[in-house]
Amino acid sequence: MFALSKTVLYTCPYVPAEWIAAHGLRPCRVIPDSAGTVFSLAGREGVCPYVRGFLAEVTDGDRAGAVVMTTVCDQMRRAFDIVARRCELPAFLMNVPNTWQTPAAQQLYVDELRRLGRFLIRHGGKSPSNDALAAIMLEYDATRTALLEARERLSALRYAEEIAAFGHDGPDAVTGGYRGSLEPITRVPLAIVGGPLMKKEFRIFEIVAESGGRIVLDATESGERGMCAPLDTEALREEPLSELARIYFGGIVDASRRPDSQLYEWFEEKLTERAVQGIIFHRHVWCDLWHAELGRLKDLIDVPVLDIDTAGDFGSEENRTAGRIGAFLEMLQ
Amino acid sequence: MSDAPKRITLEQWDLQYEKLRAAGAPQPYYGGPLSRHLKDGDRRLLKLSYDNSAAALRLWNLLLTEEDRLHEARASGRKIVGTMKDLGTVPVMAYSLKNAVAFYPDGAWWIPCVMELGAGLLEIADSLGIDESFCPVRAMLGAFVTGAHFPLPDMLVCSVGATCDDFSAIAQRLEGLGPEILWWEMPHRREPEPDEIAVTLPGGFVAPKRQVEFVKSQLQGIKTALEELTGERLYAEKLSEGIRKANQVRRCLSELRHLAFTAQRCPIPALEMLIAEMLAIHFCSDRQETIAVLTELLDEVKARVQAEVGVLEVDAARIFWVNPVADLQVMNLLEDCGGRICGTEYLFSHALDEVPEDSPPLDALAQMALADPMVGSSIDRAQRICADISLFGAEAVVISRIGGASHCALEGQVIGEIVQDELDIPVIEIEVPPVTDSMRPTVRTRLEALVETVRARRRPVPK
Ligand code: SF4
Ligand code: SF4
Repeated sequence: MFALSKTVLYTCPYVPAEWIAAHGLRPCRVIPDSAGTVFSLAGREGVCPYVRGFLAEVTDGDRAGAVVMTTVCDQMRRAFDIVARRCELPAFLMNVPNTWQTPAAQQLYVDELRRLGRFLIRHGGKSPSNDALAAIMLEYDATRTALLEARERLSALRYAEEIAAFGHDGPDAVTGGYRGSLEPITRVPLAIVGGPLMKKEFRIFEIVAESGGRIVLDATESGERGMCAPLDTEALREEPLSELARIYFGGIVDASRRPDSQLYEWFEEKLTERAVQGIIFHRHVWCDLWHAELGRLKDLIDVPVLDIDTAGDFGSEENRTAGRIGAFLEMLQ
Repeated sequence: MSDAPKRITLEQWDLQYEKLRAAGAPQPYYGGPLSRHLKDGDRRLLKLSYDNSAAALRLWNLLLTEEDRLHEARASGRKIVGTMKDLGTVPVMAYSLKNAVAFYPDGAWWIPCVMELGAGLLEIADSLGIDESFCPVRAMLGAFVTGAHFPLPDMLVCSVGATCDDFSAIAQRLEGLGPEILWWEMPHRREPEPDEIAVTLPGGFVAPKRQVEFVKSQLQGIKTALEELTGERLYAEKLSEGIRKANQVRRCLSELRHLAFTAQRCPIPALEMLIAEMLAIHFCSDRQETIAVLTELLDEVKARVQAEVGVLEVDAARIFWVNPVADLQVMNLLEDCGGRICGTEYLFSHALDEVPEDSPPLDALAQMALADPMVGSSIDRAQRICADISLFGAEAVVISRIGGASHCALEGQVIGEIVQDELDIPVIEIEVPPVTDSMRPTVRTRLEALVETVRARRRPVPK
């Protein structure tokens, strides 16, 4: 449920929640339940199920005050046009560059944050002071650090849910106190890699556990890979907005990046660190960006890969998915 | 003007070619009978109908000999620049240099059609994990792997950002196979905010000056890379001259389009017009010859319009066509069904608009790049389509869907709704794969129904 009318919806990890919160509004990262139905899109082939699900959540009633979308992929960029035409909700399309190595691309991201700020002010937000922004960034950073540190004490499902709750409701939603003992990894350590998971797809974590595996790396967009880099407190003191841009634009690796080399450096590091023995590659049908990464991943990473494509209706796909994960784990054991 | 204008088969073209030769008609260096291209495996040519003018023959021959020209360019020491995705911008820069020639690897899009899937390029793409859920541009991957359809470029430049996911993903897959790519960022074109300086772009879209400057900075990076590649400085005067030449092509096309789409009798078939428009993107690897070919075609069309003759019936339904067709034969099919093309938006209107000559050249190119209908919203694109429908008097719209294309999933809906709301004319969406043979009856039925609807709307409503 989106409680406040000052709630600002978004789903892309490159939208910094801190920036929205610093404007006195409530950031809410939407993770759709499933592909859902958008009446006007019924029967249209080729739409990514995640986009469908997001559109269904955003166009459903007036539960929020605004929505922020990004240009990270073409499908979302086009989905913005649907929101702009069908929805009363004030909507903002943020240009997030695909190139990342040049100062010009980095500056474009900062400029877009400023433009987003002006949009938020037009829709009920207030301009934040540097100190207010820095305080919020510190709070979010502390929560993120606590979450990351808690990973080994939580089941993979709970970990994913905590990350989702943090995105949806901010630091207050994270229960903390993860004092359980480190869970010894006796099961086959797996990574899940891909775009974002929808809520119903979180069931995959349980299926893996039921089949004798454990997701030790949630490299989906809705998981650990979608979390920004830790803060540099010195840089924060100097220029909080630049530091915000650095931790998000410079800190999140993704398949949309050109070149996508950072993504593979990140994979290499994390897969080795966590001794991953197999990868579940999870992608939504019609998502070209992740689909094309499957071949790259197989070429570049020497770990067995199970490709799971989904049309976004987990209910009807669950048995097939469970069977395939079971067989994959059997092969690895 | 040639003989009475009509559409003829490949076989008839060979006879016509002999007639032309016997009459002493001059042939360009790449001239010859059209059917000789069959030996390259271009089997679709057998199933197309063609305009019967000498100008059309020259156009086809220019198109089908591009690979030879690229090899000649390589042999003569010129650098080959593979420009990907921007459709019309970087080639203007490359052709401003003496020592460079640009081409679009994206053009491999049509190889599966022209070779009727015989080149095996889609199978290679499949084997690399790029299956039919991607648009036909995936054939480009196969073309790079086989090296059989164009010489491997000395430099590859690719725009990303506000582009389709298909191309971005495929280009990344390509880079992973070895070739280095110079990526440049094309931001999504947006409305200027109230306190921003606005720039009206070629074609009429508006963007903030800040975005024009950003794109200019990206083009500056490409300019430097081109200079390093060719060892030649790309001074502003050279670039301005390159823009003037590009504008010569664009002006010629603009006149051609106006005549072809508004003449009472359609003076030139849709297929030849599609190819003529494509020349604007990269001049088919010979800018001078492109100008000559289009000039001859324009002269032919002018003569036909003046003589009030054409290739189709006077009452042909006037159709606006959105997106290029992966199967060229569908352009013929529309005409067989009683339609004619009166307006097009083949994804590259910005390559048809004149580049401003009164701005510094890189600025002007940045403006042109930002005017790309695909880098802005589908709503903008739909507005431009509506304006052109009114300009050319089209009576219906065909949105031709490109299988797998990331933009087609949602934009067709937006464009269709806006056209219907604003102009109240019929709109249909059809999907056109590279070879439509098996679904030809369905496509035919839908086009016939559209033509019939247009005709019915012309009849006076009984009192
Ligand atoms: S899953 Fe792919 S297509 Fe869908 S929103 Fe994400 S990046 Fe875009
Ligand atoms: S046809 Fe569409 S999806 Fe395919 S390369 Fe061109 S713009 Fe991209």
